[in-house]
Amino acid sequence: MKTLRILFYSLLWLPFTSIAQTTVTGMVLDANSNEPLIGVTILEAQTDHGTLTDLDGRFVFAVTSADPTLIFRYTGYTTVEVKLDGRDQLEIRMAEEATLFDQIVVVGYGTQKKSDLTGAVSSVKGKDLARIPTSNVEQALQGKVSGVYVAPSSGSPGAGAVIRIRGTGTLNNANPLYVIDGMITYDASNVNPEDVESIEVLKDASAAAIYGSRGANGVILITTKGGKTRDKASITASAYYGVQQITNYIDVLNASEFASAYNDLPSLDYFPNPDSLGVGTNYQDEIFRNAPISNFTLSANGGSEQYQYNFSGNYFSQDGIIENSHYDRLTFRINGEFKLNTYMSIGHNVSYSAIREDVAPGVVNTAYRMPPTLTPRDSTGDFTDPTFFGLPVANPSADLFYKSNNHNNASRLFGNMYADIHFLKNFTFRSNFGFDKGNRASQYFEPVFEVSASQLNKNDRLSVGTSSNNDWIWEQTVTYDRTWKAHHITALAGYTAEERENTSLGGSRENFPGSAQELLYLSAGNDTTQMNYQGASDEALTSNLFRVNYTFKSKYLLTASLRIDRSSRFTKANRTGTFPSASVGWNMTDEPFVQDLNFLDRLKVRASYGELGNQAASSRYPSTGAVTSGLYGVFGASESLNQGATLISLSNADLQWETSRQADIGVEVGFFDGRLAVEVDWYNRNTFDIIAAVPIPDYVGSQDDPVVNTAQIRNQGWDISANWREGGTVAYNFGVIVSPVTNTVEKLANGRNEIFAANINGEFASHTVVGLPIGGFYGYKVAGIFQSEEELDMSPKFGDEKIGDIRFADTNLDGILNGDDRTYLGSPIPKLTYSFTAGVEWNGFDLNADVLGVSGYSVFNAKETLRVGVYNWESHVIDRWTPDNPSQTEPRLINGGHNYRVSDRFIQDGDFIRLRNLSLGYTIPSRVTTKAKLDRLRVYVSGTNIWTKQKYSGYSPEFPNAGNTYEVGFDFGGYPVAKSWQAGIEIQF
Amino acid sequence: MKNNIRSGAIHKNITFRLGLILLLAVVSSCGEDFLERKPKGQLTFDTFFETSDHAVWATNAIYQKFRTWEMCAFPWIGITDIISDDADKGSTPTDALYMLQLDQFSFDATNEGINGAWSGHYQLIFRANLAINNIPGIDMDEELRNRLVGEAKFLRAYTYFRLVQWFGDIPLVTSSLSQDEYYNQTRTSKEVVYDLIEQDLLDAIAVLPEKSDYPAADLGRATKGAARGMLAKLYMVKQQFADAIVQCDSIILSGEYMMLTRYSDNFLRVGEHGAESIFEISAVAEQAAIAGPGATPFNMVQGVRGVPNLGFGFNRPSDDLVADYEAGDPRRQATIIYVGEVLPDGSTIVQDNPEVLNERYNQKAWVPAHAGLNDNGPGNIRILRYSDILLLAAEAYNEEGNPGKALEYLNLVRARARGNNNFILPDITTMDKTELREILYHERRVELAMEQHRWFDLARWGRLADVMPLVQPNFVASKHILLPIPQSEIDLTGGALVQNNGY
Repeated sequence: MKTLRILFYSLLWLPFTSIAQTTVTGMVLDANSNEPLIGVTILEAQTDHGTLTDLDGRFVFAVTSADPTLIFRYTGYTTVEVKLDGRDQLEIRMAEEATLFDQIVVVGYGTQKKSDLTGAVSSVKGKDLARIPTSNVEQALQGKVSGVYVAPSSGSPGAGAVIRIRGTGTLNNANPLYVIDGMITYDASNVNPEDVESIEVLKDASAAAIYGSRGANGVILITTKGGKTRDKASITASAYYGVQQITNYIDVLNASEFASAYNDLPSLDYFPNPDSLGVGTNYQDEIFRNAPISNFTLSANGGSEQYQYNFSGNYFSQDGIIENSHYDRLTFRINGEFKLNTYMSIGHNVSYSAIREDVAPGVVNTAYRMPPTLTPRDSTGDFTDPTFFGLPVANPSADLFYKSNNHNNASRLFGNMYADIHFLKNFTFRSNFGFDKGNRASQYFEPVFEVSASQLNKNDRLSVGTSSNNDWIWEQTVTYDRTWKAHHITALAGYTAEERENTSLGGSRENFPGSAQELLYLSAGNDTTQMNYQGASDEALTSNLFRVNYTFKSKYLLTASLRIDRSSRFTKANRTGTFPSASVGWNMTDEPFVQDLNFLDRLKVRASYGELGNQAASSRYPSTGAVTSGLYGVFGASESLNQGATLISLSNADLQWETSRQADIGVEVGFFDGRLAVEVDWYNRNTFDIIAAVPIPDYVGSQDDPVVNTAQIRNQGWDISANWREGGTVAYNFGVIVSPVTNTVEKLANGRNEIFAANINGEFASHTVVGLPIGGFYGYKVAGIFQSEEELDMSPKFGDEKIGDIRFADTNLDGILNGDDRTYLGSPIPKLTYSFTAGVEWNGFDLNADVLGVSGYSVFNAKETLRVGVYNWESHVIDRWTPDNPSQTEPRLINGGHNYRVSDRFIQDGDFIRLRNLSLGYTIPSRVTTKAKLDRLRVYVSGTNIWTKQKYSGYSPEFPNAGNTYEVGFDFGGYPVAKSWQAGIEIQF
Repeated sequence: MKNNIRSGAIHKNITFRLGLILLLAVVSSCGEDFLERKPKGQLTFDTFFETSDHAVWATNAIYQKFRTWEMCAFPWIGITDIISDDADKGSTPTDALYMLQLDQFSFDATNEGINGAWSGHYQLIFRANLAINNIPGIDMDEELRNRLVGEAKFLRAYTYFRLVQWFGDIPLVTSSLSQDEYYNQTRTSKEVVYDLIEQDLLDAIAVLPEKSDYPAADLGRATKGAARGMLAKLYMVKQQFADAIVQCDSIILSGEYMMLTRYSDNFLRVGEHGAESIFEISAVAEQAAIAGPGATPFNMVQGVRGVPNLGFGFNRPSDDLVADYEAGDPRRQATIIYVGEVLPDGSTIVQDNPEVLNERYNQKAWVPAHAGLNDNGPGNIRILRYSDILLLAAEAYNEEGNPGKALEYLNLVRARARGNNNFILPDITTMDKTELREILYHERRVELAMEQHRWFDLARWGRLADVMPLVQPNFVASKHILLPIPQSEIDLTGGALVQNNGY
């Protein structure tokens, strides 16, 4: 966007005439980034004299009056007026203006002025992302954009996020599409947040339809920093170091509480004296730790008129808060653009990243379950065998010890190269080749060990795997851009082809001569124990795309676009999908009736409607029935394996695109000289023919559920954002984002009105039903606890209940308690997400706070329902029913069975509000830094997730599911999210 | 100046041509071939069932399904032995509640064992339907084609036979259902299911070779004798005793089978596909790695808990079974492993496990230490033995008023069990129909104990209501003689499937 500005002003480069008297020299810089500002208009007050800053932001200006006032004006920045007071040298810092309307925003296959936009596009600057210590941009988007819900996919180091733009629009993968500098991908984990210039979220159909068959869940455009023309390179170094820890512990029973609970169970043994056992071991202490996180970046940015570049190197290192988990990443980026001649330029954005990851075994659940009466190790130092209770729970400390030799290495070469050719005055042709080449290698070694009969490994085994992806896109586009009189038209036509291919190869062997790292190669193992595999998958897509933007007097705006996609995922008959969209806008700012309103300085309304597609399905070949081989028959006296192969699951040759139709009406308003900017959008998004592998009855005999076009879902909601920004000695800003959304299942195909999922203890806990949100929780309602024989006799019941058991509600009041009494128990989809941001700057100090809230949803504490053995309990069972304690809320203790039926007993309020980030920084005054030959030096401390208010009894109540959307909100004991404190430094020279 | 204009014109000309070429590039498109993608490393269904190999593979894949968890592990033993009076759950008291629920009749329509068996059986039927419906269209050797279809029909009939005995009326699926048929199947009356089973078995008998007619490499495939045996069982259920006699006698007179001298050999590796075996599912532990492709979890779940077997110790022979053996009957020792007993391969003495109440194990599912891990069981799953047929024949003859013939067959079985020890298991001599029926009830139980026949036999005799309450007070005759249709199936069909009484 700055590049454009440079171009614009370079073309307009016209020295103003001047009558020399006093000559003032100086420089104009961006107050925030210290970048030189090019083409700033400098006027001498009360004269017609003026000049512009040059490519380095410098100016030489001969003033004519005695003690003149200079006025510095720059689009998008607050105007600065300075009295010269006899000085002949000036350094001016200009702050960006509060209003966001004049920004240039990136849209698919081009850029547009924000004021000309007719679609709903939200833009986030790179500098606003970097405040969160995370390896990737996904988590950094949380709370930054209206209409965008972000939940960390896990708390493990390096983890990304699950993102929902404008509600949950499908039953399958509802993640948005990422476009990084034009390369389309579903995985943006390789982008260093500090390399990001801006992120644009295309929310409505008008904006996203240009991505056709993959735009239905919204599109996130990531633009990385390009070079800027200046005479000396700007070098930036930054670093931070922090410490992370678990946000909260789950309140589980201590040793004496556990022992007394255990004694209530029908069992062969018991604890003779529970009280003597004290608190025992809290296994959360055994698996969690304080873990460091650090990040170092060095970048160089500069260029001449012919070549602009941005180089950067980054090292990010994060230990997980669970022992033995670690992630680090090295990223290099080289972005450059060359002007070959007056009509042709070529450029590239290339990044290479290398990731190393140590994976800890899943111990959250086992730590949650471990009886606190046991120590991790016994008196001889051996790991304690927890099957003392006859239960197959694993000792988490032993798992951490024996199962942590688990490493992944990955590298990824990602980017694009392009050539732009301007021809015939108004035409630009662009050929863009994007590529994504990734390699991953995994290694897992498990030594021989025996902790118990169910936690052991008889043969040491090394498993290794490699996988790679090779994706490319080649896009040819022609843009026609013409302005005449009051008309401006931009038209785009293009053809794109892309191919994606994945391969995997791996194997395992047993019986290694030792476990030293240098021995861990398959060849060192016993070859008679070897297993191996190899596989591959691919897909291809070709598309035509068209778009026209037309504006009249910059007041009346019109955009229409069309994309035609042909995907290899569907059979020939269903292959082609056509995705049109249209939108209109009216810039009312210059209309007389708006001009009359003093407080209002901008007003725009816009409306859009369009169709988007989604081709996501679990497999790349959902239309093709795959025959499974290796189903050997064993025959003959020598018992030999005879090849067996057949279809074991149904496929669906009739599968077609799922289509989303979205309408959007938006208003953008600016008040009080651009201090307050408000943007409000209303949308209605209907998704049809949703692709999903929904459960079918087992009698059909298909091992996996076939993928079908099945449902219709509506998301209706508001995206509201308001920002107040005030410059001056005390500069401050305050922002609010509020995004309410209503999710409703409108229809399920085949005359069906429900989808069941999430089988827990033999009952479905998730029930997607027409008229309610996707994946609503489903089960019995607890009505009370049976207190007496009379109550048992009088109440509808299943039959085997005893006094102290849960009395479930006969919700349909038919006097019989059975499956028909299960009912809707809440939705895992938040009704509202909101955030507040506040910042203040004074005398070099800056203080920023981000608060994030999610509300109106429930979570299912599934880890509490599974009781294969006698596990520890959450502390609420202290109040359990006993003859002496006739509890009305907590049933008597049994290990599974009736009281563990799927019911609202396990459903909790998910609402939370969190201080996502709080940071305090100080920028050393330039008079000090210039002496040290530095342009800028800032130090800061910040805290992330340091305060959370939640009702949920577990860790963070965010349990997204990247795979499908009708089985979400279940806490099965994943890797929890951490909080952290960090300190950092930013140097520019 | 002129020059400039000229070069400008040339420049313009070049960019114009270039522009045209580029425009062409934009509108051109790749061929359709670019978009034709097939799964890698996998056969696809559109080109399957085209060769003789495909026919063989598709049939073999049906056998494979019998070795999977749902078909031979917890779900299978849970609703055959453990649910019956032959066995209790086993293992530690708190291990696998849903198995305990089966043992104690506290299960409901959400029981994992019942649900697993239901889905496993229908998945097997899915494979069999594919073979039955597609192999006939393949251009291949006619004899082989007929045989393979016969094998598939036998396997489908046997699978439906199990389902109908457990659940009563069931959805009858004989082809791959289409999308609009997924959710609206109803329960077909058990008589109609019997008809399909009978027809499938008659078809199989017509085309399947006898055991000895198979090439050695095909040992383990369904035979004419196996199909006759299964048909005899069906007729016994339908109380068509004369028809059962026809089938049993043709097996007996075929000369294909005889009882092994030692009863216990039937359950050792040496007895696999022995002279007494009419049908069994072969398994082999291929390698030491995780569950080899020829292995089963059948042995693991019933194996001796702890070292050296690392079994789960489920399916514990019940007190009631132990008490039912006649004094000195060697079949008791051959059926049950006790604490302190030397394992059949002499490897070790079974240790007392303090976590396990009343520790005993099913010796018939026991296998010696083998190449694989505990989940890599090499033991064949015995389905039908010759002595089973002899006892069925005895029953049928008794019901048909021919006690002499019944006694002949019954005493053959007892004589073999007796071996050289003439002090035990005397010949039965009674000609009283009712008394002999009772004796046959008993004999069948002890001869076939822990081989997953008991529940079906009790059901067939109509004796569940008499027998089960004696060992499990929770048993309710009006409810538990049929198992519940899985609740998930009722939910998914929106109630088109109606639940069995009492659930």
